[in-house]
Amino acid sequence: MADPSVLALREQFRNPEQQRETSTVGMWIFLVTEVMLFGGLFTAFSVYRMSHPAGFDQGSADMEFWLGAINTAVLICSSFTMAMAVHSSETGKKSRLAVFLLLTILIGLVFLVIKFTEYYLHYHDQKLPGILFHDTSPDAAYVQMFFVFYFLMTGLHAFHMIVGEGVLCAMLIRTWLGSFSERYHTPIELAGLYWHFVDTVWVFLFAIFYIPGAHLK
Amino acid sequence: MSQSTVSVKTYAFTLLTLLGLTLLTSLLGLADLGRFSFVAAVAIAAVKASLIACFFMHALYEAKLVRVVMAGGVIWFLIMISLTLSDYLTRGWMPFPGK
Repeated sequence: MADPSVLALREQFRNPEQQRETSTVGMWIFLVTEVMLFGGLFTAFSVYRMSHPAGFDQGSADMEFWLGAINTAVLICSSFTMAMAVHSSETGKKSRLAVFLLLTILIGLVFLVIKFTEYYLHYHDQKLPGILFHDTSPDAAYVQMFFVFYFLMTGLHAFHMIVGEGVLCAMLIRTWLGSFSERYHTPIELAGLYWHFVDTVWVFLFAIFYIPGAHLK
Repeated sequence: MSQSTVSVKTYAFTLLTLLGLTLLTSLLGLADLGRFSFVAAVAIAAVKASLIACFFMHALYEAKLVRVVMAGGVIWFLIMISLTLSDYLTRGWMPFPGK
C-alpha cells in the first residue's frame, strides 16, 4: 500500500509539515471558540455565585461529591490514554494506537455512565429546576439557580463527551483501515486536542460545582 | 520521523501530578476554608488545566503561531471575566446618597 502521507498531502500545501501546522492552528481556533462558549457560562456562574453565595454553597452541598471526584480521576486517566494514543501514532505503532483509542473510548463511557447516574440521583432527590424541584430552605430560589447552571454546563460538557466518543470511534475505524502512519497522523493529534480540551473543561466544572459546598454535608 | 513529541515518562508524571492535585482539591473541599474554598478550587483547576495544555496538548512544543492562538483564547476569556467581575465585585463600594 502507498504511504498514507503521500496520499494525504493536499496540493495547496508545500509539505506535510506545513499541512500539519495549518490543521493544528485550525483546531486551536475552534478550541478558542469553545473556550468562549464555556467561558461565558463560567462568567455568568461566577456573577450569580458572588451575588448569592449561601444558596450556591447549599446547592453545591447537594452534589454527589465522591462520584464527581471519581469522575475527575476517570477523565484524567482517559486523557492519559489519549496522550498515549498520540504517542503510539507518532512512533508508528498501529496496534498499540488502536488499543489506546479503544481504552480512551471505554474510559469515556465509564465517565458518561457515572455522570448519568448522578443525574438520576438528582432526579430522585427532586432537584430538577423548573420541572421537579423540592427545597424548603429560605435560599431555595438560588439553590434552584445553581442547579440550572449545573445541568446546563455539565449537560453541555456531556454532549461534548458524546461527540468526542464519535470522533474517537471514527479514528479507531480509520486506524483499522490503515489511514495513519508515523508520517501522517494529524487527525489523531487533533482528536486528542479535542479530548484533552473536554477534560480541561471538566476540571473546572468539578472545581466550581462540587468543591465549594463539599464541607457542608 | 519516529520521534515522539513527549516521552511516556513525562506523560506518566503528568498523569500522577493531575491525580495528586485532584486528591488535594477534594481534601481541601472537605475542609472548611470559608470563602476561599471556591478561589482555591479554581486556582488548583487552573494549574491542572495548564499541565494538561502544556504536556498532553503539546502547547510547549508547538510553533509560535499555534501558541499565539492559545494565548489569544486565554487573554480574551480573562478580559471577559475580569471586566464583568470588576463591575459586580465593586458594586456597593461607594456610598451613594439616597441608596
